[in-house]
Amino acid sequence: MTTKQANSYSGSPLQGLRVLELSTRMGYYCGKLLADMGAEVILIEPPTVGAPLRRDPPFIQDKEDAEFSIPYFYLNTNKRSITLDLKQVEGKNLFLELVKSADVLLEDASPGWLAEQGLGYEVLKELNPALVLTSMTPFGQTGPYAHYAADDLTLLAQGGWLNIMGYEDTQPTQAACEQAYAIGCMFGAVGTMLAVLEAQQSGQGQQVDVSIQECVVMALENSAQSYELENKVRARSGNSQRYAGSGIFPCADGYVYIFAGGMAASRFWKNLVDWFQGVGVEGADELASSKWQDLKYMHSEEGKQTFERIFCNFASDKSMAFLYEGAQTRRIPLCPVSDSKAIMANQQLAARGFFTSAMHQASGLAITMPGAPFQLSQTPWSLRNSAPTLGQDNRDIFSALGVTHEAQQALAAKGVI
Amino acid sequence: MNKGPLAGLRVADFTWIGAGSYTTKILADFGAEVIKVETLTHLDPLRNTAPFLDGKPGVNRSGYFADRNSSKRSMVLDLKMEQAQEVARALIAKSDIVANNFSPGTMEKLGLGYDRVSADHQDLVYLSMSMQGATGPHSRYVGFGLTIAALSGIQYLSGPIDRPPVGTGTNYPDHVPNPCHAAFAVLSAIYHRRKTGQGQFIDFSQVEPTTALMGTALLDYSVNGRIAERVGNDHPHAAPRGAYSCEGGRSIAIAIYTDQQWRELDSVLSLTKQLSARNWEQASVRLANRPELDAAMAKVTTAWKALDLQEALQAKGIAAGAALNIAELVQEEPQLAHRGHWIKLDHPEMGSTIYNAPPIRLSRTNFTMNRAAPLLGQHTDEVCRELLGMTDAQIETLRTQGVFN
Repeated sequence: MTTKQANSYSGSPLQGLRVLELSTRMGYYCGKLLADMGAEVILIEPPTVGAPLRRDPPFIQDKEDAEFSIPYFYLNTNKRSITLDLKQVEGKNLFLELVKSADVLLEDASPGWLAEQGLGYEVLKELNPALVLTSMTPFGQTGPYAHYAADDLTLLAQGGWLNIMGYEDTQPTQAACEQAYAIGCMFGAVGTMLAVLEAQQSGQGQQVDVSIQECVVMALENSAQSYELENKVRARSGNSQRYAGSGIFPCADGYVYIFAGGMAASRFWKNLVDWFQGVGVEGADELASSKWQDLKYMHSEEGKQTFERIFCNFASDKSMAFLYEGAQTRRIPLCPVSDSKAIMANQQLAARGFFTSAMHQASGLAITMPGAPFQLSQTPWSLRNSAPTLGQDNRDIFSALGVTHEAQQALAAKGVI
Repeated sequence: MNKGPLAGLRVADFTWIGAGSYTTKILADFGAEVIKVETLTHLDPLRNTAPFLDGKPGVNRSGYFADRNSSKRSMVLDLKMEQAQEVARALIAKSDIVANNFSPGTMEKLGLGYDRVSADHQDLVYLSMSMQGATGPHSRYVGFGLTIAALSGIQYLSGPIDRPPVGTGTNYPDHVPNPCHAAFAVLSAIYHRRKTGQGQFIDFSQVEPTTALMGTALLDYSVNGRIAERVGNDHPHAAPRGAYSCEGGRSIAIAIYTDQQWRELDSVLSLTKQLSARNWEQASVRLANRPELDAAMAKVTTAWKALDLQEALQAKGIAAGAALNIAELVQEEPQLAHRGHWIKLDHPEMGSTIYNAPPIRLSRTNFTMNRAAPLLGQHTDEVCRELLGMTDAQIETLRTQGVFN
C-alpha cells in the first residue's frame, strides 16, 4: 500500500513534494493539508510511544489505545509514519539523510530545541539548500515570550481573542476544537507553500517562522482598526442581538441563527416581513412599520425585544430544518445551529461529496469523516490512505536509504527506530 | 531587493467584503500583483463599514476595508456594461489567477465565467468562493460569517456547558479558515501549474473549511454515535484549566497539565487551603473535580493583576496568559511588538493608519506590504495604460461611455 502511494500518479497538485513532519502537539493539521493535496508527508514519531496525539481522546469505540485516537486518525490522513529517536546518534544520522531528499520540514518544537540536537536550520541548510523549514510555535522563534509556556487556551488569551469570546456576565470561553493550534496550522500551510513556490524558482529554501499567538490576532476582525480610528475597545457581546433581527434564537429542536436586520442585513428585512405576513405570524404587521428601517430603533432594547417576542413565538414549535428551508427559499439568511449529528446529515455537504470514508485497520471500521475542504477541478482531493499505524513505513523508507534489513533490526533493538 | 515570494504572479481580483478580500490580501502582502476590480454602483460594502477615520463615513475612510486590501491596486469597471466586461477579460488574459466570492452564476452573467475566460487561457487558476459551493441543493442559499459558524458546528460547540451556544465573538470563518484554505488551494494549484502547465477551477464552499476543523467532534459521532457538547474551557488532559478573574474584572487563562505544574501553581496561589482534603497532586483527582478547582482558583486569582500573575506563573513554567484587550495588544504587548505585527501604512486620504501584517515571517523573502489600501478606482488609468496598453484617447473614450463607474 505504501509503495503504491510513492510510485503511482495520484492526480494531486502537490505530488512529488516530500515533507518531513516532526509535530508533537500543535502542527498536525498543517501536515494534513499538505498530505491531502498529494505531498508525501512522513510523520516522524518517537519509537514505542508514538506521537503524543495518539493519546488524545476521544477514541474509536472508546478503546484507549495508540491506534484508536480519533484526533490522530483524523489529522494524519494520507501521511506515512516512521519512528526515529532523534536523541541517539544513529537516529540523528538517519534523519539527516532524509533531510537531503526532502523539500519541507514541519516542526513545532520549542525554539532552539532542534539546534540543541545538532539539527538547527543552519545545519540542515548546509545539507539541503532548497529545504523549507516551517516552524510553528506558540510565540515564534525569537522575542521576550519565545520560551513562554502555552496551550491552546492561553494562546487565545494572549492573542486577544479570548477576551471577546463568550458571555459578558461570566468568564470568557474558548473556541471549540483547539482553534489556536488550527489557526497556526492554516497559516503554517500557507507559509510553507509561499516558500515552496519561491524555492521552485530560486532553488533556495528558507525558514517560515509561525507565531500562533500572532496568527490568533488575525481572528480579531476589525478590532485594531476600531481602536485606532474610533477609540473603541471591543468587548464580549455574548450571542445577543446586535440589531433586532440578528442573533441566536431557540426553536423546537435547537437554535437557529438569523441575520435579517441591521447594517448589511437590512435588505433581508422585507423578505422576513413578507414571510411572516404571508403565513399569518402573530405580530407580523408590527414588523412591517417604517420604524424598522431606522438603525437606531433596530439597535434599541424595545426593537430587539419586540423582534424576539414575535420570532420566538413563531419559532417555538418549528424545527431547525423547517425554519432553514422556509427562510432560505425566501432569501433570508437563517441557518440551523448545527451539532455534529446535524452536520453529518447536512444534504448540501452530502451532495457535494464533502464526506469521505476511511478504513481503520485495527477495528476494521470504515469511518465517515470530512474530506475535501475545497474542490479542485483538475486535481481533486483524494484519500490515498488512512492515518498510518505507528512506524508502518519504517521498512520502506529506511530500505530506500540503503539500510539493510539486518541493520534495521539492530536499530530497532537499540530503540532508535 | 526582496519583492516577496509571489513576485511575478498577477491576480484579477473580483472579491469583496470579508473572506475574499482577506484571501487576496495574503497574496498581495507577499508580493503578488493584485488588481481589485470594483464597481461604483455595487460598492464593496466594507468601504461603507465602520470604523472610519475620525468616525466620519466615506468610501476611502474605512479601516475595515483598508486592512483587508493592503498592497492591492483598485480599478473601477461598471461590469454591467459590455465594454467594461471586455476590459475585465483583457485584465484576466494578462493574469495568472482570478478570484471572486460572488454567488454561483454571477461571474457567468458578467461574461467572466470560468469556461469563457479559460478557453484561451488553459493555465488560469480561477478561485470561486461562494457561500455553499457552486453545486448542490443549497448552492443558492444566502449567508454571512456567522451563518457559516452556525452550519459548521463551531457555534454549537463553543460556550459554557450550561448555556445556549455563544460562538466565538467575531466572524471567524471569514477571517482565518476561509482565507487560509483559499490561499492554500490557490498556491497548491500554482505549484501544479508550474509542473504541468495546467490551470484549474477551484470551487470553494465557505462552509466546508470550518466544518473540516470540527473533525474530531464529527468523527466522535460517526464512529461512536456521541453528539459532542459544549465543554466551556475544559480539556481532557488539563485541570484546572480555564479563564479566571483578576483585578479590575480582567481575566487570565491558566492550564495545568502535569503534577509538577500543579505543585508550582499551588506554591504561588496556595490553593490547597481553599480545597477539601483530597490528593490533589494526582492528575486523576484534579480531572475528576474541576468545579471545585475552578471555584478555588477564582477566589485567589482576583487579588492579582492579570499580567503579574502571568509572569509569576510563567516563571514556574506554567502556561498562563492574560486575556488581553485590543488596546493592550496594540500599545503594550511586547511579543507582537517584537515581531512587528502592527504595520502603519500611509494612505492618501486616511494618512498613516494601522494594518495587520501577515502573522508569519519568511526568513529570506518575507512579506512586502508595499502600499496602503487603494482609493476607490485609484489605479484605473494606470492599469489601463501600463498593463492593458491603452492610449490616453482610448481611456478617455471609455470614460465618456461610463465604463469606469
